[in-house]
Amino acid sequence: MKSGFARVIAVVLFMMAAQVHAGAVDTLQQEYIAAGAGPFSAAKGKEMWIEKHLDAESGKQRNCQSCHTEDLSKPGKHAKTGKVIEPLAPSVNNERLTDIKFINKWFKRNCKWTLGRECTAQEKGDFLEYLRGL
Amino acid sequence: MSQQKAGQTVLVWDIPTRMFHWLLVVCFVMAWLSYEDNRYLDVHTFAGYTFFGLLLFRVVWGVFGTHYARFKEFAYGWSDVFGYIKGLFGEDMRHYIGHNPAGAWAIFSLIGFGLVLTVSGLFVLGGEEQHGPLAGIITFRQSTPFREAHEFAAYTLLLLVVIHFVGVITESLFHRENLIGAMFRGTKQADTESTSVRPHRLIAATLFTVVVAYVIAAFGGYLTETQENPYLPFKGKELPMSDTWNEACGECHLAFHPTLLPARSWELMLEQQEDHFDDDLFLEDDTIDELLIYAKANSADLEQTEAAWRMNSNIPANETPLRISEVSYWKRKHEEIDDEIWKRNEIKSKANCGACHLDAKQGTFEDADMRIPGEAPEFDAIEWLKSVLGGDEK
Repeated sequence: MKSGFARVIAVVLFMMAAQVHAGAVDTLQQEYIAAGAGPFSAAKGKEMWIEKHLDAESGKQRNCQSCHTEDLSKPGKHAKTGKVIEPLAPSVNNERLTDIKFINKWFKRNCKWTLGRECTAQEKGDFLEYLRGL
Repeated sequence: MSQQKAGQTVLVWDIPTRMFHWLLVVCFVMAWLSYEDNRYLDVHTFAGYTFFGLLLFRVVWGVFGTHYARFKEFAYGWSDVFGYIKGLFGEDMRHYIGHNPAGAWAIFSLIGFGLVLTVSGLFVLGGEEQHGPLAGIITFRQSTPFREAHEFAAYTLLLLVVIHFVGVITESLFHRENLIGAMFRGTKQADTESTSVRPHRLIAATLFTVVVAYVIAAFGGYLTETQENPYLPFKGKELPMSDTWNEACGECHLAFHPTLLPARSWELMLEQQEDHFDDDLFLEDDTIDELLIYAKANSADLEQTEAAWRMNSNIPANETPLRISEVSYWKRKHEEIDDEIWKRNEIKSKANCGACHLDAKQGTFEDADMRIPGEAPEFDAIEWLKSVLGGDEK
């Protein structure tokens, strides 16, 4: 009886956690849709994730993998400072894609570094669609 | 005193005196070997404190100790010394059971300069490192004359050691008497009137126990440390920390402590946040304000640490460096590090201070808290000791 109750609590907690998780991405995607973007495609997100961009100043190719590396379930490494970056895949790092402020900050920073400009609402929505499935 | 050596063996040097002598030798060698490389400051200060303690013991022993160890027993005047040296080359060669007049002067000078050396060392430790009993009393800038006195005393003592050693060899040859052996065994051949001193085993055992306890206290941490929790022989004073700073800066790199650059550098850096070493930080205005307040309250200009003082006094007033690794003091301190070392996986970047400086996060950058990863020392005493201890267990 007691263990049954504990199980119910656990399931509820898990659902709540899952809700928060879905919450941040969904909220952001709603925002993007309101701005005229959508629908979002994980395949397109992945394609852009791997796409390389030439940085004029350093003469080097950059993409998201420069820091996050190829396997998002493993820690990445800051391309310049070598600082360890926690895995990005929500399946191994449940803190990922849960904090809207955090997501916005890193979209700003990393789009600028990789693409040399901020990302569009469509691009951000596609990236999130790709990442949430990992 | 007698010219003739009779067939009697007497104990001249009690055990504490001999132990004092040889431990002093060990500390002196240790201090010379460890002074140059900052990483061994813990070894150097260990040697210094032990040296100081031994000298204090010897001063007390010179008053209350056994016959030949007492100062008044070998407080010879200059004429005695002169007569003794002249006698060495003449007919009137005199033999002393205890210290001869020349040797006695060497002993007094060694103890005197030894005290100058260790006391000045305490001032340098207090001033330059802000450690030891004089930490906080002597400022960084006041420590320079003490460093000079410390160096002068060290070389003087080295010269005195050489003179002492030459004297011992000379006397040993002239009198056909092994004085070095006597400092180990404690005994000498003497006339029938001389009597042995008490060996004082209990005092010797106490002295030995104190030194061993100090060795364990100073270096025991190396035996129990782990990779994740390395032993820090020196703990610097606790510097103010800021969660905002550690988070904002620590996201991409070590949150370099603000004590490493002057306030004007931090101001400029935060002003140019959209061009932060190739990255746009997009930090909110209130975050920037908070970072600035913290940086200014702890910048290098305030000289809270040795690193802050050295960095700050090395940056010309008309320069505003943004990279810590471009300050000439930083360059000088790291110039001996080969490219091969920088490229090691554990290090990779000059921004990765924490790879070698175990206390980089705390911002203290203590001399002894440095270890180059992947570098096996030429002789690793700890590994050696572990293998010896491990070997015994098997």
